[in-house]
Amino acid sequence: MIVRRSRWRQLVGTELPALLVVIFALAPYAWMVLSSVKPTADLAKVPLVYLPGTPTLAHYGDLLARTSFAANLLNSLIVALGAVALGLAVSVPAAYAFSRFRFPGRRPLLVVFLVVNMFPVVLLIIPLFVLMRILGLLDTYGALILGHGTFAIPFAVWMMTSYMNSIPPDLDEAAMIDGCSRLETIRRVVLPLAMPGVVTTGIYIFITSWNEYLFAMMLSGHEVRTVTVALQLFIGEFQIQWGLLTAGGTLVALPVTVLFLFVQRRLVSGLTAGAVKT
Amino acid sequence: MLAPAVLTTTAIVFFPVAQTVLLSLRDAVLYRPQDMPFVGLANYKRALDDEIFWISVGNSLVWVVLAVGLQFLLGFATALLLNRSFSWRAAARALVVVPWALPSVIIGLMWTWMYDFNLGVFNDTLVRVGILDKPVAWLASPDAALYAIVLALTWQGFPFFAVVILAGLQAIPAELYEAAAIDGANGWQRLRYVTIPSLAGVMATALLLRTIWVANSLDVILVMTGGGPGLATHTLPLYAFLRAYSGMEFGYGAALAVLLTLALLALVVLYVARAAREAAR
Amino acid sequence: MQRRQFLVGAAGAAAALPFAGRARAQAPVTIRWWYHFDNPQHSPAELVTRFERENPGIKVQAESVPWGGGNDYATRLYAAIIAGSPPDCAMVKLNNQARLLEMKALEPLDRQVAGWFGRTDIPDNIWAINKATDGRQYYLPLQYVVLYLYYRADLFQRANVAPPKTFDEFLRAAQATTRDDVWGFGMRGGAGGHDHWASFVLGGGATFDKGGMVSEKALAANRWFVDLARVHKVFPPSAPNDGFRQIIDNFKSGRAAMTIHHIGSANEMVDALGDKVSAVPVPRAADGKGWTSFGDESNAVFAASRNKEAAFKWIAFLSAGANNVDFNKFTGQLTVTKSGASGWSLHPKRFVDATFDSLPIAAVLPDHPKTADFTRTVWPQNMQRALLGQIGADEMMRAIERHFHG
Repeated sequence: MIVRRSRWRQLVGTELPALLVVIFALAPYAWMVLSSVKPTADLAKVPLVYLPGTPTLAHYGDLLARTSFAANLLNSLIVALGAVALGLAVSVPAAYAFSRFRFPGRRPLLVVFLVVNMFPVVLLIIPLFVLMRILGLLDTYGALILGHGTFAIPFAVWMMTSYMNSIPPDLDEAAMIDGCSRLETIRRVVLPLAMPGVVTTGIYIFITSWNEYLFAMMLSGHEVRTVTVALQLFIGEFQIQWGLLTAGGTLVALPVTVLFLFVQRRLVSGLTAGAVKT
Repeated sequence: MLAPAVLTTTAIVFFPVAQTVLLSLRDAVLYRPQDMPFVGLANYKRALDDEIFWISVGNSLVWVVLAVGLQFLLGFATALLLNRSFSWRAAARALVVVPWALPSVIIGLMWTWMYDFNLGVFNDTLVRVGILDKPVAWLASPDAALYAIVLALTWQGFPFFAVVILAGLQAIPAELYEAAAIDGANGWQRLRYVTIPSLAGVMATALLLRTIWVANSLDVILVMTGGGPGLATHTLPLYAFLRAYSGMEFGYGAALAVLLTLALLALVVLYVARAAREAAR
Repeated sequence: MQRRQFLVGAAGAAAALPFAGRARAQAPVTIRWWYHFDNPQHSPAELVTRFERENPGIKVQAESVPWGGGNDYATRLYAAIIAGSPPDCAMVKLNNQARLLEMKALEPLDRQVAGWFGRTDIPDNIWAINKATDGRQYYLPLQYVVLYLYYRADLFQRANVAPPKTFDEFLRAAQATTRDDVWGFGMRGGAGGHDHWASFVLGGGATFDKGGMVSEKALAANRWFVDLARVHKVFPPSAPNDGFRQIIDNFKSGRAAMTIHHIGSANEMVDALGDKVSAVPVPRAADGKGWTSFGDESNAVFAASRNKEAAFKWIAFLSAGANNVDFNKFTGQLTVTKSGASGWSLHPKRFVDATFDSLPIAAVLPDHPKTADFTRTVWPQNMQRALLGQIGADEMMRAIERHFHG
């Protein structure tokens, strides 16, 4: 009896609301997936055609065979991973310093990292373009990775600082008293504990870079074309290639979702994994 | 340890920002690059006398409060749900991220299409179910357009809060809940006295960063309405963008951008104090 | 300091490099060309190969740039010019010519055009439309469209009206075809829709000269146009936000009996509607005056290019006879060559006829640095407010007058 009641509570209190949230998250995407397998003639019909009479993979075929979409996906992947690497490499040490050391100018500096985030990046495009041209980086992975660094780094510094702050300093102090060097402490105590934060920040940078259009459009040409720019090419002056666009949109979301499926285990490590209890 | 972050940020953010700020003091028109006279604060004065500037400020306020608020509430609820254990939790966690995994351009186009007067799935469904008796031109109505876009942005942004808060929830020591349970706290009390205080730092930072991000975002609006109908969805960054690139009045656009930054600073000054105190703890 | 940054680019663009001599033209050169196609499945690779075979020693690097409503393409081009690294040549439109000239970014082509064999194959009126205000030729015409009136033959028959030739007939036809969920005219009120307005208001007597938007005639013409929405309600309620996609979909799905667009959408319309769609030139005012938009596309060579002769050879190749016809297969527009136009088979004849019949009233907006901003923000903003009744029709015209004449 008790078991059944708790099962009932679980269903109504947790699984049903969770299902609603998932439906809300997926419905527009599902509409896109449905559209991507409809023949072009079904896309602009009144009354609306909900289910494709004869599903077709023609749009996907065209997308992969007749445009450079696969290569663009790879470019996006390289840029996004590069941005994650850059963002984490500079922000994790900085966050540790902000969180664990007290030094003059600490607070103003932290605030500066926040304020630079507030400037609308669209207005930075032209100065950044000129800068990249002087550095000779236009149309390289470097230009895009650095460009995405403009939002990734300040954000990551803040995010990581707040995650590090939520780790009790007693833990790393205890480790140092036990004879660990500072680097060892970071590697063996702080980083494992901060892992959910590192993963979250990494995901954030990855997704933002993956979806970024303006920098990708401005700072890269035909050598390093990302998926967002490629998708924009389906929206012409007098035509929208709905079939290609929905097929492309469907594919674009997949790598991020799969990535998240893999890394989400990492979100569950950290303090609840028992570090505190030892 | 700070050097890499400080140096890169100086080079790729601070330097272009400084350039843009200096340009806001000039009558900088992009198609006249040879002739950019210094005009002091004239661009700022012009903004304060500009009717469209004030309309944009008002829209921006509604936009930020609603979009961030809804994203946060929905994201928080989602995180709490996905923190409980149930059989398909891993799948649910991954699927919820889907909206966030789509480029803004696609989101703008898909939602425009779904809102379409004629071919939109919203109108079609609502009319079929009988909630509406005839289709509504959502994005062409000055009363509905802004809210329609807020809904699209809520959809896009709530997974961010869900993921960030979910990660924060993992960091709450189990002992705190155990102790609360021993004290006889019910579910609501545990949320109120354990979960929220423990998450305060992470939530404040996430809210702050998201507020900044949403306040600066314009791509979804640009795709869906371009600021219209009339001025109904003109926000400040969109206005700055249009002045800078459509009007090519880069100096004026830069001044609007600086004003936006100042407004954000004022808006989040409480946050900054709070978050900086948190960080300085 | 930051001013110098901008100057670096400007100086680079302004310093006209001496023309490469014959000796240099023989050394292998690579020219960069920017283009935009509506369908990314099309690639100019075949044309490039043919050109490179005919011109050994010149390589063409063709780069597609996202159009983004015209804004992305232009922003990218301007940024490249400011930074001193524009391509050698690119596809361009007249609405940007004044700005590009003001930036001293364009190379005059008069000398090369005078000696080019294909010059006489392009009609004089197309050359004339593309001439800059300083009387020189910077743009080499590539393709064009002319806006005309699409109408649903079946809906017209049902309502027992004929395709309109005058504004009055237009109003009658629009009223006759408007019913429950069908509107007489699918009006484009989003950015880029100024063409619809211009046919009736410029055709009705408004001009871009000083005072031309606030003359009695101009104000009356605009009041008449706004009344189509406010009083006669022959536009769908979605008109204030409708773009080209929506007007075509509304038309195809039978929600609108008329709309204004060009031959670029003809094949798509016929695929969906067959004989039920046809076209005539846009209606004219009672005094016989009319206006319709000439949609231009040209190639230009940039002043900063080091290989101007080679760049000209490439763009001239694209505008010559059979090559130009092949190019238009990718874009769905019309060839600028007389030889290509005879025996044209890419579109059904009735739409080609409607295009040719519209040429006498076809024109472009003024070649003015403020035109691009007018089409992108000033017109849509004020038109939408007028359509929604937030401002009066006259107030809209005063705002446009202010934009151009302070």
